[in-house]
Amino acid sequence: MNSKSSKFGRLYLIVIFLLLYIPIIYLIVYSFSTGTTMDNFHGFTLRHYQDLFADKRMLAIFLNTILIALLSSLISTVIGTIGAFNISNAKRRRTKQVLLSLNSILLVSPDVIIGASFLIFFTALSIPLGFWSVLLSHIAFEIPIVLLMVLPRLNEMSPSLINAAKDLGASQSQILSDIVIPFIQPGIISGFFMAITYSLDDFAVTFFVTGNGFTTLSVEIYSRARQGIDLEINALSGIMFIFSLILVVAYYFIEHQNQSGSSKKKRRLEERH
Amino acid sequence: MKRLLIVAAGILLICLGLATGSDALQKSSGDTGDKVLNLYNWGDYIDPALIAKFQKETGYHVNVETFDSNEAMYTKVQQGGTSYDITVPSDYMVAKMKQSHLLLPIDKSKLTGMNNYGSAYLNKSFDPGNKYSLPYFWGTLGIIYNDQYIKPGSIKHWNQLWNRKYRDQIMLIDSARDIMGMSLIADGNSVNITNTQQLLSAKNRLVRLSPNVKAIVADEIKMYMADGEAPLAVDWSGEAAEMMSQNSHLHYVVPTEGSNMWFDNLVIPKTAKHFKAIYKFLNFMSQPQNAAQNAEYIGYSTPNTAAYHLLPKATQADQQFYPKDSVLKRLQVYKNLSPQKVEQYNDLYLEFKMHH
Repeated sequence: MNSKSSKFGRLYLIVIFLLLYIPIIYLIVYSFSTGTTMDNFHGFTLRHYQDLFADKRMLAIFLNTILIALLSSLISTVIGTIGAFNISNAKRRRTKQVLLSLNSILLVSPDVIIGASFLIFFTALSIPLGFWSVLLSHIAFEIPIVLLMVLPRLNEMSPSLINAAKDLGASQSQILSDIVIPFIQPGIISGFFMAITYSLDDFAVTFFVTGNGFTTLSVEIYSRARQGIDLEINALSGIMFIFSLILVVAYYFIEHQNQSGSSKKKRRLEERH
Repeated sequence: MKRLLIVAAGILLICLGLATGSDALQKSSGDTGDKVLNLYNWGDYIDPALIAKFQKETGYHVNVETFDSNEAMYTKVQQGGTSYDITVPSDYMVAKMKQSHLLLPIDKSKLTGMNNYGSAYLNKSFDPGNKYSLPYFWGTLGIIYNDQYIKPGSIKHWNQLWNRKYRDQIMLIDSARDIMGMSLIADGNSVNITNTQQLLSAKNRLVRLSPNVKAIVADEIKMYMADGEAPLAVDWSGEAAEMMSQNSHLHYVVPTEGSNMWFDNLVIPKTAKHFKAIYKFLNFMSQPQNAAQNAEYIGYSTPNTAAYHLLPKATQADQQFYPKDSVLKRLQVYKNLSPQKVEQYNDLYLEFKMHH
C-alpha cells in the first residue's frame, strides 16, 4: 500500500515538473533555431545569441535589470528586517495587528495602482524618472515581502533565549548579532531571494517609473511583444533562465552552509561539556 | 551576522560591477553627455542599424525607450518625468495630444526632406498642414482571407462579408471605431459621421452580420488566423503582414469602396529639449534610403514616396500594402470626434457585441 502511494506520488511529481519545464525548454530550444519564428525548427545556429550580444542596448538593459534586482533586494531586506523587529516588539496586540494589516494591504494592492501612485509621487516631488525612481519603487514593493518572510521566524523565537542572554550580561548589540540575527537568518535569506524574483518580473510598477533612457527587461519585452517576439528574446530568456538557476544554486549553498555551520557549533558546544 | 555582512558586501561589489558595465555599454554605443536624443517609440519599431548609422553620422547618442499603446505613451508624456524629444503617436492620438497642448509645432524651415513625402499622405484631418507631425508609417483596415477555403481574388467588397455562405466564418478585430467604420463604409457613409440616424443604421447592419461572426478578438487574431482557425478576418494591414509571413495561404484585401487609413507619426512632445538633434533625426529619417531601409525592416507601408521607389519591385507592386491610386483616393482617416460622439460609437458597438 505504502509503496503504491509513493509510486503514484512520484508520477504526480514528474507530471507537474514536466508541465512546468516543457514550455521553458521549448523556448530555449527554439533560441537555437535558424528560422525567425517558433513555427518549426529548421537547424542549429548561434545567430540569435550573436545578435543579442551585438545588441548593446539590450545588454545594458539586461545588466540594469539585474543591478536593480540585487540592489533593491539588499536594501529592502535590511529595511524589511528592521521593520519586522519593530512589529514583533510592539507591546500591544492591537498595534501589531494594525501594522501587519497595513503591510498586507501593500502586498495585495494592484501593481498598476502602485505604479501610477509612484509616477504621481515622483513628478510631484520633481524627482527625475530613471535609475533612482525605479530603485526606490522596487525597494518599496519588496519591503512587505521581506517583512512577511522574516516575521514568522521572529515569532518562533522563544523570549527566554533573550532573557537568558540578558541574565548573562549580553549587551543589546550582542543579543542582536549573536542570537537574534543567526536565529532569523533563514528568513532573511529567503526574503532576499523572494525580493529578487519580484523585482525581476515586475512590469506594471516599473513601466510607470522608467524614463530618461533607463528601462528594465520586463518593460522592453512587453512593448516588443506587440510586433511578435523574435528569437533574440528566446536567447535572452535562455540566459535569464541560467541566471535564475545560478541564484537557486547560490541559495542552496548558503542554506546548506548555514546548517552545517550551526551543527558544527552544536558539536563544539557538546565537546566542551 | 558576520557572514551576512560579508554576503551583503559581496552583493554590493557585484552591483558596482554591473553599474560600471552597463555604463560602459551605454558609453560605447555612443557619446553620452549633452549630445543625446530621447526617442520614445513603439517596441521594435525602428531598424536598430539605422540608430547606429544616425549616431555615427551625427555624433548624437540616441536613448530609445519603448511603449506598447498610445494611451500609455500619452500618460508618460503628460506627466513629463522624462524629456522625450520625439515620440510616435497614431493619428487620433496626434489630435488628442494637440488638443491637450502636449505637442510643439515642427519648424518646416529646418526640414530638408519634406518633398520626399507623397501628397496622399500629408495634410490629413488629424493634423492639417502637418504643423505638428510627420508621417512615419501608414496602413489600412481590410479583409484577410485564407485561400484554402475561399477562391483567391473573389473577395473585393465589404458587402461580401454579409453573404450567408460565410456563416460563422469571420473574425473581427475588437475595435469600436474600426468595426463601426467598416459598417459605415458598407453603408456608403463616411467613417467620421456624427448623424445619429446613420450611426444606428450602421449598428443594425452589424447586427445583421452577427450570424457570420465567429469571434471578436484582440491581438490573438494574428495567431488564430495563422493557425487557420477561420477563413476570413477583418484587421489592420500591419497585423495582416505578420499573419501572412506565418501562413502563406493568407491574403489581404483593401475593399474597392474604400477603407480606413491609419498613420503613425513622428511628433515633438512639449517635454523636448534637444532641438538640434531632433531636426537632424527628422531629416535623417526622411532621407529616401533610410526610410526604405526602415520600411523593409518593419514591413509596414512607407509614406515616403522617394523611399517607395527604392523598395524591391515585388514590394512596390504589392497592392495589398501599396494599393492603386483609385483605392488610395477612397481611403478615409479618422477625425478626432467629440467625447460624446466617441461614447456613442462605443455604445453602439457594445450593443452589437452584446447582440452577438
